[in-house]
Amino acid sequence: MASTKAARIGEDVWKTRVDKVNAELVTLTYGTIVAQLCADFDADYAEVNRQLDKMGYNIGVRLIEDFLAKSGTAACANFRETAEMIAKVGFKMFLNITPPITNWSGDNKQFSLIFDENPLADFVELPDDGRAQDELWFSNILCGVIRGALEMVQLQVEAHFVSDVLRGNDTTEMRISLIRIIDDEMPPDDE
Amino acid sequence: MAGRSPAIACIGVIGRKNNPLHISLFPPGKRPALEFSFLLSSCLDIFEARMPYRTAEQDFGLLQAVDERLAMYGWVTSTGVKFVIVVDMEGGATPSTGKNPGAVGLRDADLKPAFRALQTAYIGLLRNPFYDPDQHSVLPNKSEQSFESSQITSEKFISEVRRIGEKWAPGVTSL
Repeated sequence: MASTKAARIGEDVWKTRVDKVNAELVTLTYGTIVAQLCADFDADYAEVNRQLDKMGYNIGVRLIEDFLAKSGTAACANFRETAEMIAKVGFKMFLNITPPITNWSGDNKQFSLIFDENPLADFVELPDDGRAQDELWFSNILCGVIRGALEMVQLQVEAHFVSDVLRGNDTTEMRISLIRIIDDEMPPDDE
Repeated sequence: MAGRSPAIACIGVIGRKNNPLHISLFPPGKRPALEFSFLLSSCLDIFEARMPYRTAEQDFGLLQAVDERLAMYGWVTSTGVKFVIVVDMEGGATPSTGKNPGAVGLRDADLKPAFRALQTAYIGLLRNPFYDPDQHSVLPNKSEQSFESSQITSEKFISEVRRIGEKWAPGVTSL
């Protein structure tokens, strides 16, 4: 089954081909970036979300190369397989987590990732200004990463968080929707 | 009051510049806040006096015994943040076990787990990127009012302090 195969690849890559860094370094670095963005944009959280997404996008378009090289996988046959690769290989490889995939839409074009653990958000408490809890998506960089990475393999997707434990929700859920498959001849998107 | 056991009456967190960061009272609302605020202030001189003799050890042990019931214990991190625990020797319920720990008094080691847990909670607070330790350092020219605004507001930290204060009892080895 595709799902167990993806899990096996993820484990294998994580164990043998990935350089590890201290988790706290990652968490604190990312936290500082977000806190600094909040300060720089005077707590305009919508803009912070946009900036995080943009940074993620720029990471994603580079990261995909590394991902493909290390995982040694070929093109996915369908979007379901893509979801498996993202959750079980991609996230495993870079963050050592495997968020479960749920809530497939009927047309197989939308799914959710549930983040039971999120290394980016360890120790974090959102600012208590009455707005951050409703407006800031702390881990929004992940949406950009997925969007950027998939765009490089001809999949245009839209990704956004729908809930976050930091906001007091029960789960952290990211919704990913396939918009279209990009033809090879398309001019590059100048984001 | 024979048979009553010691319990934590107050936990205070004091910043490097002797600015109060957080004070929790146990049981909440039952103790006079001002009096404990004075008690905490009174122990700052003891910290100061003992500071030259400190070793790598962060535990300051017993700072002073206030009266027959209250005793204050201190702990200073290497960055100068001070934790103070006031123990009420008769604050707890009668222990269900046969032995009576109140009769033998407290050893300094009894409070170590509580201080360690406090320090862990404080580290957790500092790791929150939205917590800015600088905003808690009081500038010398600021007036008294700035003390109020420099309190720790993190709910996670406050509830952890609360948990430590309520769970600790003599002989507890980990919190």
